Amino acid sequence: MDLTVEKLAKMIDHTVLKPETTRKKVKELCDEARDYDFAAVCINPVHVPYAVELLKDTDVKVCVVVGFPLGATTPEVKAFETAEVVAAGAHEVDMVINVGAMRDENYDLVKRDIEAVVAASGDAHVKVILETGYFTDDQKVKACQICKEAGADFVKTSTGFGPMGATPHDVKLMRDTVGPKMGVKAAGGIRSFKDAIRVIDAGADRLGTSAGVAIVEDFRWAQYSDSWMTPDKPCWTCPSRMANMAKQPKEVYKWYKERCLTCPHKEYNVFND
Amino acid sequence: MSDSSLYADVPILHVNLSDKSIRREPIPPEIFKQYLGGRGLGVKLVYDHLAPGTDALSPDNLLVVAVGPSTATRVPTAGRFVVVTKSPTTGTVFDSHAGGYFGAQLRRAGFAAVVFYGKADTPLYLWINNDDVELRDASKLWGKDVYDTTDQLLKETDEKAQVACIGPAGENLGLMAAIMTDKHRAAGRGGVGAVMGSKNLKAIVAKGTNEVGAYDQERLNTAVEHSRRLIKKNAVTNKSLPVYGTPVLVSVANELGMLPTNNFQEGTFNDAEGVSGEKLLERFSAGTYNCHGCPIGCGRISLIKGEKVGGPEYESLWALGPQCGINDLEWIAIANDRCNHLGLDTISTGSTIGAAMELVQRGKLDAPLKFGDTTGILEIIEDMAHMRGLGAEMSEGSKKLAERYGAPELAMQVKGLELPAYDPRGVQGHALGYATSNRGGCHLRSYLIGPEVLGSPVLVDRDRTDGKADLVMLYQDLSAAMDCMVVCRFTNFAWTVDDYAEMISAGTGIELSGRDLLHIGERIYNLERLFNIREGFTAKDDNLPPRFFTPLPEGGSRNRVVHLEEMLKEYYKLRGWDKDGRPTKDTLKKLDLPVS
Repeated sequence: MDLTVEKLAKMIDHTVLKPETTRKKVKELCDEARDYDFAAVCINPVHVPYAVELLKDTDVKVCVVVGFPLGATTPEVKAFETAEVVAAGAHEVDMVINVGAMRDENYDLVKRDIEAVVAASGDAHVKVILETGYFTDDQKVKACQICKEAGADFVKTSTGFGPMGATPHDVKLMRDTVGPKMGVKAAGGIRSFKDAIRVIDAGADRLGTSAGVAIVEDFRWAQYSDSWMTPDKPCWTCPSRMANMAKQPKEVYKWYKERCLTCPHKEYNVFND
Repeated sequence: MSDSSLYADVPILHVNLSDKSIRREPIPPEIFKQYLGGRGLGVKLVYDHLAPGTDALSPDNLLVVAVGPSTATRVPTAGRFVVVTKSPTTGTVFDSHAGGYFGAQLRRAGFAAVVFYGKADTPLYLWINNDDVELRDASKLWGKDVYDTTDQLLKETDEKAQVACIGPAGENLGLMAAIMTDKHRAAGRGGVGAVMGSKNLKAIVAKGTNEVGAYDQERLNTAVEHSRRLIKKNAVTNKSLPVYGTPVLVSVANELGMLPTNNFQEGTFNDAEGVSGEKLLERFSAGTYNCHGCPIGCGRISLIKGEKVGGPEYESLWALGPQCGINDLEWIAIANDRCNHLGLDTISTGSTIGAAMELVQRGKLDAPLKFGDTTGILEIIEDMAHMRGLGAEMSEGSKKLAERYGAPELAMQVKGLELPAYDPRGVQGHALGYATSNRGGCHLRSYLIGPEVLGSPVLVDRDRTDGKADLVMLYQDLSAAMDCMVVCRFTNFAWTVDDYAEMISAGTGIELSGRDLLHIGERIYNLERLFNIREGFTAKDDNLPPRFFTPLPEGGSRNRVVHLEEMLKEYYKLRGWDKDGRPTKDTLKKLDLPVS
């Protein structure tokens, strides 16, 4: 795609989800979102009325997370949370999938969870966060299929609080699974315009990041050299490299690491780069 | 002269020290348009007025002290100054920069630059008090260190003035003599202090109270507000540097196995944690230091044995620490402070001590020097400044020292200038930057540590060679351009080419796009290249010490070597230079440079 600064900005959900976020920070976030014409601000529910007020005369959307960041609450609670934030003016809802139910293969519960949020969302778009770091590729594919069946508008990679962030590998897998008509949001660990372009090339049409300003500003460097995008070692963006025993279920961690054994890029896996 | 306070309309001060004449001349408009100011202006003046082959320490050399069109405006970090001359250390044209507050005072006094010619028959200093300029006797100051000199001069002139001076190292024409300002900020590299000493010029004192104008103040204000916001949004300029200062790099470089240790024999220092930015903060921090107009505040003030001292900054800490195998952080701060008092470039001082230690290690030199041992080093540093004994030999730098003792390969230098604190085997692009730097072993011509290590603006693979020539050229040209504004290199973490161009356009009225600005930088870089070619430099000088073509034995950069040849070939091609590294006629025409 012929990416411009403006187009890139309009793909970004300018995000602050940390618990210590103050109203001052929300104001700053909204001011920046307006100045750079980002797609949305992505915030916690408690800040919705304030953000809606700040952004009322703009086309910047207010995106709110529900069941966040664990996704481990009930469908009813997620639905209630959704109805609350939508009533307060949210335009988009980013819910966290029921991760445990997915791993239990309790797909009915996973689907009911999403359907409950979709039903409560009114005109708001619903994005479902898979938290990919908890899943193998097969599970990610299955989760995407359920999201599509349940009527969600987007699938989204990560919360930013889980085992790993967005990788081109996962984004491509998700795009290939949901097809061209559904949205794919990459979130977590997107800190530079290079990170952004990689996931866009892999199929993302929305990016969740707290580094939106830096990404857009630094993207102006792109016009001065093509060398920024010279391919790096393939391991750099591979989810297997990001796998973390302390944060992932043992079998998921092992699944990621065992991929390295048969990887065609195995020679690059030296880990002192 | 014009009443305008714009940079283009204020004069250059020409000071002939031989006959003590002082005259004011405007910046030729064509030079301003093509070179803007600062480094560009200085390089152009030196190129035009210096005969080929001039002895850098002779009265015929020029010493240009310049500020830029952004100096003392609201542009962040724009209170610096640049010294341009022919370097006695490298024989190249050389620009050396310092922060502090002197640059802003010089600009507020109403001058774009001061050019010194000739040699005074007795020690003098120049006192610039707004438009009143006079040469004064400095005989009583000769022999005094930087701190005493500064204190004395402020008493003699005005407590609100700023001083740029030399210490004993400069007086004694040591090739690593710096010009110091605000006591502990240094135009450190290239022996610019020796050039000043060779002219019997002890100091320049400036006080200015004039307002500095901008062509379009409102537009500049908008650009400045934007640029300040970017500094506040950037993790390096808003967190790492303010909290830890430049020593934050110790841990980063060590982790990647590129913290030069024991004269670059290793890339990992076992005691790195003990000399890290974190440890400096925990043990000795007594505050931070902001240069004029700087919202970053990377400078360190340390409390050492009950006394506040400037620094140490990363390069100094490394040179006097890991480069010499020394892990005593308190001692490093003391040694750094001694260098500041004596007016010595800490990088070249520490690196040359490291080279001497290796000469001893390999049985080439008989001296009481040993890696990791601080015994006698403070005395050696004193001797280097006062040209005594082995110190006199060491004051000529590692290249001459290693040649003298029959092991030139042990000098970690390029074009005679000691390399700074990044082992090039761990960073291919940065290595190419070292080799092709117009002023020798320097990390600031093209700071590819940004993209190759710190991920600024994006992380690029430090081991790859393809694409690096392109980035080195981009950074060299941008650095040359921003050196015309005379702003701090660290702004580069937060600002893009377009931001610099916008601030120059608003400040000067010369409408520049980012590409136009890079074109100016390219012109300056090629003019410097022409100067060096005129002095006899060839493609053979675009090289690195042989050590960097053998692998590092261990650590995060183990088994790596520099792949210089393939990058250099690509670099020459992109630069529009022939295989001998000479700009082609087409390149010179494109840049409006003299084809002859």
